[in-house]
Amino acid sequence: MFERTKNIKLSVIKQIELEASKYPDAVSLAQGIPDFDTPDFIKRRVERALKRGVVAKYSLSPGLPELRELIEESLEKEGMYYDWEKEILVTAGSIEGITATIMAITSPGDEVIIPEPTYTSYREVINLAGCKPVFVPLDEEKGWGFDIERYREAVTEKTKAIFYCNPNNPTGTIYTKKQLMDLARLAEDNNLFLISDEVYKDFIYDEKEFFSLASIPELRKRVIRIFSFSKAFAMTGWRVGYLHSDEENVREITKVHDSLVTCAPVISQYAAMGALEIEKEKMKKFFEDYKKRRDVMCSRLENLSHVFDFVRPDSAYYVFPRISSRVAEVVGKDLIKGDLVDSWGFAFRLLEKAQIATVPGTAFGPNGEGHIRMSFGRRREDIEESFDRMENIFKT
Amino acid sequence: MKCFAKFLLKHYLRVITKLTLLVHRPVVIAVAGSTNKNFAKKEIKRRLEEEGLTVRANPKNFNTEIGLPLAILHLPSGYNEYKAWLPAIFTSPLRIFQRNFPRFLVLGLGTSDEGDMSYLLSIVKPHISVVTDITQRYKEGFSDMNNLVDEYRLLADRTRNNGVLLLNADNYRVKRIGDNRKKKVVYYGFNKKADPCIVGAQKNEKGQRAKIRHREKEENFQINRFGRHHLYAFLIGVAVKEEVKSL
Repeated sequence: MFERTKNIKLSVIKQIELEASKYPDAVSLAQGIPDFDTPDFIKRRVERALKRGVVAKYSLSPGLPELRELIEESLEKEGMYYDWEKEILVTAGSIEGITATIMAITSPGDEVIIPEPTYTSYREVINLAGCKPVFVPLDEEKGWGFDIERYREAVTEKTKAIFYCNPNNPTGTIYTKKQLMDLARLAEDNNLFLISDEVYKDFIYDEKEFFSLASIPELRKRVIRIFSFSKAFAMTGWRVGYLHSDEENVREITKVHDSLVTCAPVISQYAAMGALEIEKEKMKKFFEDYKKRRDVMCSRLENLSHVFDFVRPDSAYYVFPRISSRVAEVVGKDLIKGDLVDSWGFAFRLLEKAQIATVPGTAFGPNGEGHIRMSFGRRREDIEESFDRMENIFKT
Repeated sequence: MKCFAKFLLKHYLRVITKLTLLVHRPVVIAVAGSTNKNFAKKEIKRRLEEEGLTVRANPKNFNTEIGLPLAILHLPSGYNEYKAWLPAIFTSPLRIFQRNFPRFLVLGLGTSDEGDMSYLLSIVKPHISVVTDITQRYKEGFSDMNNLVDEYRLLADRTRNNGVLLLNADNYRVKRIGDNRKKKVVYYGFNKKADPCIVGAQKNEKGQRAKIRHREKEENFQINRFGRHHLYAFLIGVAVKEEVKSL
């Protein structure tokens, strides 16, 4: 019974949120949800579609042609050239795109390499497909960048793909062009797919350079790029995203997508059209606000340097600080495991003592132990309030 | 209130736009169809600019009753914010006498309901009209397919008598729009009778290699984009470049 699901775990983030809901004054820095509402111009687009009576029926399985055409245009602006008719698939959020991709390109028993710490659900999807996730640790000393030699060592005959999140959740790291090109060469040498989850590509701070392997024409048969409207347009509840790759890959992924969801929710596809029709300038304020919140969170973390060491994120809306063992007096010596603090225990003690919800680092892979994830996607007042509370309990 | 404001804005912009067109008399190239309007527009613009001509094309969704005048006047949209519309409203009369108005306007014309095309054609009278294709898209705004096709027929009717119609020879609904016309009709596509015509196309790593026959000459081109629609856009660009010479 339940052979397929017995090793699948419910998201740690959801468990933390559930626990936090028991505390009346809890402040959550846990879930990666933007606190903004979906912008009005997107809502107006949906209202128009509702009035025209065009949202009640299925769309074509790959998505509304007009949306896919808009996606092709938006990719073109980023230097990526894909055919909207055959190479772009609209999905029910990025996680459905990820699931359909893994199911399409792997067979049970295959291995998928994932750099970690990274997004929690990758592991579960790989397990669900009957494959084995192989973790390759990112190097905190190098700003959570990766070392290609570690990937080379991880490749076996069973390896089918390397699956990474760029910019990375939870570390906010943007991988450099050199790192990614090294990865591409490794994939070429070993005939591997590269799955690039780029849902945070619009959250780039301090004019850092962002590069995607999907912009290299010679790699189009190897790279499957995934994007979601959830984060960039405050549309987490709409469940809409897309993926693109060479037509051979998309044709196979579409078969799985069709059997999973038939098509992405049509009403949400109209919302996605609204998002792409708007001039990018209109979204600028939104990203500027995130940058301010990052700066607030980093500056408050600096005040707690006896509790946390952290790498300043270049992207996304998370900070992933290492917990200092000096906090043992406050949170309990039982949480110290060698050089590291038990992140699960720490997150729960922080919730008990200060009513602040954070995500334990182990949720993002073994290398995440000793860290917690804090989201600055939340209201500035919540960020300030949670740090006031932490400063109170972690007084020097 | 909102509907009334929209009505006023729509007609105000229409009047200003018509005056602007009267003063500057640009060559208007209209691009209509269910898909591929934007890629076709871009290709036409690229081709004309290569010839050293000045061109303005409407941005992606600026092809409706309010978007089209904004594109011609080169003004931003206020979208759903009343305040954001104020600059467009106050500066639009100044656009009538704007300097460096382009010689060519490449305008996508969108139609999603009966009568849309008629309204847009009350603003512009095209010298060249391109119909990319007609599919099921936008059909929900029309009582049947024939009514949708009638929108494009109207475009063909209202194109200047000394102008040119560029029609997709591979879409039978589009092709038939050219039947019994007194004005010049150019058919493009994969159809052997089309000119310009795609004789063959092969996908490669960088895009597509296409052999094109035009005016009895065959030539190979590398098009660094993927998808059949880019081949059509390329043909449209070839045909427009040729036809503007005779205007």
